[in-house]
Amino acid sequence: MSATGTEYLNEVAASDYEWGFVTDVESDTVPKGLSEDVIRLISSKKSEPRWLLDWRLKAYAHFEKILAERGFPTWAHLDYPEVDFQNISYYSAPNSKPKYESLDEVDPKLLETFERLGIPVTEQKMLAGVAVDIVMDSVSVATTFKDELAKKGVIFCSFGEAVEKHPDLVRKYMGSVVPHTDNLYAALNSAVFTDGSFAYIPKGVRCPMELSTYFRINAAGTGQFERTLIIAEEDAYVSYLEGCTAPRRDENQLHAAVVEIVAHKGAEVKYSTVQNWYPGDAQGKGGVFNFVTKRGICEGDDSKISWTQLETGSAVTWKYPSVILKGDRSVGEFYSVAFTKGKQQADTGTKMIHLGQDTSSTIISKGISAGNSQNSYRGLVKINPKASGARNFSQCDSMLLGDRCGAHTFPYLEIGHPTAKVEHEATTSKVGEDQIFYCQQRGISEVDAIKLIVNGFCKEILSKLPMEFAVEAQKLLAIELEGSVG
Amino acid sequence: MLEITNLHASIEDDGTEILKGINLSVAAGEVHAIMGPNGSGKSTLASVLAGRGGYDITQGSVSFQGEDLLDMDPDVRAREGLFLAFQYPVELPGVNMATFLRHAVNSIREHRGQDELSAVDFLKLMKEKAAFVNLDPSLRSRAVNEGFSGGEKKRNEIFQLAMLEPKLAVLDETDSGLDIDALRVVSDGVNQLRAADRSFVVITHYQRLLEYIVPDHVHVLMGGRIVKSGGAELAHKLEEHGYDWIKDEAVVA
Amino acid sequence: MSERQTIESRLLETWESRAGSAMNGRLHDGRELAMARFREAGIPAKSEAWKYTPIRRILERMPLLSLGAAAEGDTLSAADVAAFAIDGLDAFRVVLVNGRFRADLSDLAGLPAGVRILDLRNAASDPAVVEHLDGTGQEARDAFAELNSAFVQDGMVVVVDAGIVLERPVFIQHVLTAGSPALIQPRLLGVFGKDSQARIVEVCRTIGQDHVLTNAMSEFHTATGAVIDHVRVIDEHKDAVHINSLRSYQEGGSTFSTNVITVSAGVVRNQSYFLPDGENCETHLSGFYLGQNGAHIDNHTLVDHAKPECYSNELFKGILSNKAIGVFNGKVLVRQDAQKINAYQSNKSVILDDTARMYSKPELEIYADDVRCSHGATTGELDQEAMFYLQTRGIRKDDARLILLEAFAADVLDRIRLDAVRDHVDALIRRRLSQN
Repeated sequence: MSATGTEYLNEVAASDYEWGFVTDVESDTVPKGLSEDVIRLISSKKSEPRWLLDWRLKAYAHFEKILAERGFPTWAHLDYPEVDFQNISYYSAPNSKPKYESLDEVDPKLLETFERLGIPVTEQKMLAGVAVDIVMDSVSVATTFKDELAKKGVIFCSFGEAVEKHPDLVRKYMGSVVPHTDNLYAALNSAVFTDGSFAYIPKGVRCPMELSTYFRINAAGTGQFERTLIIAEEDAYVSYLEGCTAPRRDENQLHAAVVEIVAHKGAEVKYSTVQNWYPGDAQGKGGVFNFVTKRGICEGDDSKISWTQLETGSAVTWKYPSVILKGDRSVGEFYSVAFTKGKQQADTGTKMIHLGQDTSSTIISKGISAGNSQNSYRGLVKINPKASGARNFSQCDSMLLGDRCGAHTFPYLEIGHPTAKVEHEATTSKVGEDQIFYCQQRGISEVDAIKLIVNGFCKEILSKLPMEFAVEAQKLLAIELEGSVG
Repeated sequence: MLEITNLHASIEDDGTEILKGINLSVAAGEVHAIMGPNGSGKSTLASVLAGRGGYDITQGSVSFQGEDLLDMDPDVRAREGLFLAFQYPVELPGVNMATFLRHAVNSIREHRGQDELSAVDFLKLMKEKAAFVNLDPSLRSRAVNEGFSGGEKKRNEIFQLAMLEPKLAVLDETDSGLDIDALRVVSDGVNQLRAADRSFVVITHYQRLLEYIVPDHVHVLMGGRIVKSGGAELAHKLEEHGYDWIKDEAVVA
Repeated sequence: MSERQTIESRLLETWESRAGSAMNGRLHDGRELAMARFREAGIPAKSEAWKYTPIRRILERMPLLSLGAAAEGDTLSAADVAAFAIDGLDAFRVVLVNGRFRADLSDLAGLPAGVRILDLRNAASDPAVVEHLDGTGQEARDAFAELNSAFVQDGMVVVVDAGIVLERPVFIQHVLTAGSPALIQPRLLGVFGKDSQARIVEVCRTIGQDHVLTNAMSEFHTATGAVIDHVRVIDEHKDAVHINSLRSYQEGGSTFSTNVITVSAGVVRNQSYFLPDGENCETHLSGFYLGQNGAHIDNHTLVDHAKPECYSNELFKGILSNKAIGVFNGKVLVRQDAQKINAYQSNKSVILDDTARMYSKPELEIYADDVRCSHGATTGELDQEAMFYLQTRGIRKDDARLILLEAFAADVLDRIRLDAVRDHVDALIRRRLSQN
């Protein structure tokens, strides 16, 4: 590669984070520290029922137990300091008003924040066909198109509102896919989660628009612990998208979310993520620790859950959106692009647990590493001894931009049935000199050639994103690649 | 148009000299064929002209429209109007033809001080030029060369030639691996593109291609040097007698 | 006192009771150090490296009353050993019974000058041993390697000097009498000089039926330009646990090939570490596992590409049935600045019934950008279309199955370059498959 090419890759590796501003709003933030009292305080601020407080306290007890007995999970290919759980504030709400009845009540500064992030909030400006729930720090600040959705029987609201208005659904499903005992961060989330999104699609309903949640960490010294619960009843369909950003701060901020999806017979849930938390600066200072547990269960026969993710942010990502394929003929999919640069570290992938018969799963993962970053795919395909006729295809490709980064592939294939057909392929390469030369010979500059080739590398995944966001995602990737050139 | 003077080039890695003093002059509108046995340096010459890495130019010069070609980056050469039809076109997974060519066409237009083509005009142009070489217009949504058959790849090269309208086109063994029908299609495409202000350097091992693309001059490249030059009839003689007689002649000389 | 302490402390006791015997000088010091490291590491209870082979539980279940003691006093005759010969293999023969060299059963006549095959007990001061035993490869150390080094005493040293091409292969027969519970810890050290060539064939067999734990370790040092080919066949009974650690070090421009064929009925763990420590090395590693009737076969490999311009090619295949468990964990590591590496890794398994399991973990860990690395893993049943096709041609179902299974195994077995050994392994696998 020529000097220009190398220089470009260096610039890519050092490029800036455009979403790092802070919104100056008053916020109600509880003092730092984690204890039963803090959990009681969060629960009372949210006027929660007793059962939920008990649930939180049970999770907290378990969290303390795991922390004492097993400590932090160390199996991932990640190197980061242990999180000081006492040095985090577990509740921060912009403005003292805990709930908004309508958008008109929302602080214009907040709306402006989201406009600036490219998330139109006022309904007249909205992209047609996308309902958005917006979560700033610990609380949901706005949910759009609620009434229109309600006409179809679709419930889309903040988690807090769901607890209040649909307690039976919440009690039935919360923790049913990701129990609080699952892992350290899931236990923590279960104890201290403050808000999140809730979606319920009734039987036979095709949700008329994309549902979307936008998460923003704003306050300093806080963590973000949201929960998302999506339930698709028989033959229902929904496409859901989450996006996230955070201001540039020198300290590491913890994001430990839980997402649970339940798909009943014949239902389909498509969940897409554009993750762009603050990654820290080029020296690795600051940035979000993104420790997320996402799991869906294909409860009924012929159901389908599909995860698509574009991961460009966070200092450290530890995340494995998974599918439990319980229903016969159910389908699980995982499509991922993870781009790391600077000193970012990502250990991400999926788990496909085949329990039902004739279930199938597809995993396509594209990792791009630049700068001094480390990018790992880690995935489990497990075929239960009773899961006859299971199929899995996995493809994990890595691309290295520069010679100071790492790209790793750690698949786990556990096969317990003779009729299973499991195939895994992985390759690691760099942008080919011959490919660059071919583009140049057509008049395209070396820098543009690299961009074209990297974009092509990810195309298969980006095309899986809902249309409205595919464009955004491509732009995001372009900005990530852009650096200070062009 | 193109003036190659005493060009010496060797492989960067091990210093093996491949081109040992090439002299060639191509005027506007001319078609020159370069023939020669395997390993004579034909493809190296094409690569060096287009600026592929991995070679050291140890002596000599190349001027292209009066400017020093060897001083330019490969993409600048292309924008100046030099086109190479690859012997082995490269696959660009996920990069679709339309995106790729729009980048290429607009880079070249910008260089020439022309406005960018609008999306509509661009697609119209693509459709028109694709017809030239019988390429299915649906190719614009396919990834560059990915999953293309051998013949499609070669036709795709000529299609790109038509799209980019270069001043000088170097065809590197464009006939290799083509059946007779495909060869005819490719040659027809090239012939339609012949123009008073456009020159061609056609590199081939066989005379077959020159039945269709009739050259003004034929040169024989052996051992890194042009050992014989002549008109179209030289190609016929080579077809009949092979290269050995020239080798003998060269030894005698 | 916990279980953890009991296994290790029993081993320590045995070790202490034998300390000072037989070995002296450098070997002795090395053993002290290894024992200290072993005690620190301990036998793994729960670790990523032993995720699918719970070795501690396996060892705890073994009634190893004399754990640490080697079986003594065999009365094996030449006729007993001859039963394990490989037809048509013309080789220098080395016989180890319960890990100990038996000169009377071996045949080293006609060994050319520049080639030494020695009993490790008498070779402590041999320059090859002094220089190379436990010489390098701290990266690959684990509790079992340490344990072997701590007890090191039994085993063989094979030295081929620079420039020597050893035409006849070296055939090492490991025979375990397994008449009483025992721990056997043989060591093999191969030192191959510049531009030398040699072929080593090892076959591990048991005669008795009692519990026996083999903790074997082999080290190969292959100098520049040398071409070394190694095959190990492990065929032991159901109460045999076999931990087989291999470390291979290559200087630039050398070629090292190894193929491990495991058809044991017990527990086998093959763990191999390859360090191509110079440019232009070629490393071929392959293995075949046939797991039947509750066998547990674990193949663990690490190719550590620390130097540029090297090639490695890994292929492991296996067939599993009737409660057998197969494990494959292969890692290709390309370190920073190890540019222009070509590394391929493949693991393919066939599972014949729903009581067998396969755990496959093919890993790539890449820190250099100008590399071509790929891996693939597939697990599934026999191709039913192919079965059907053969049946429509009048071939009986059982035969069709056998034909397809043999075809499946063929590309790994073809990597065995000695025809006699390949035929032997072929026949062995065919026999076992048709018994099932």
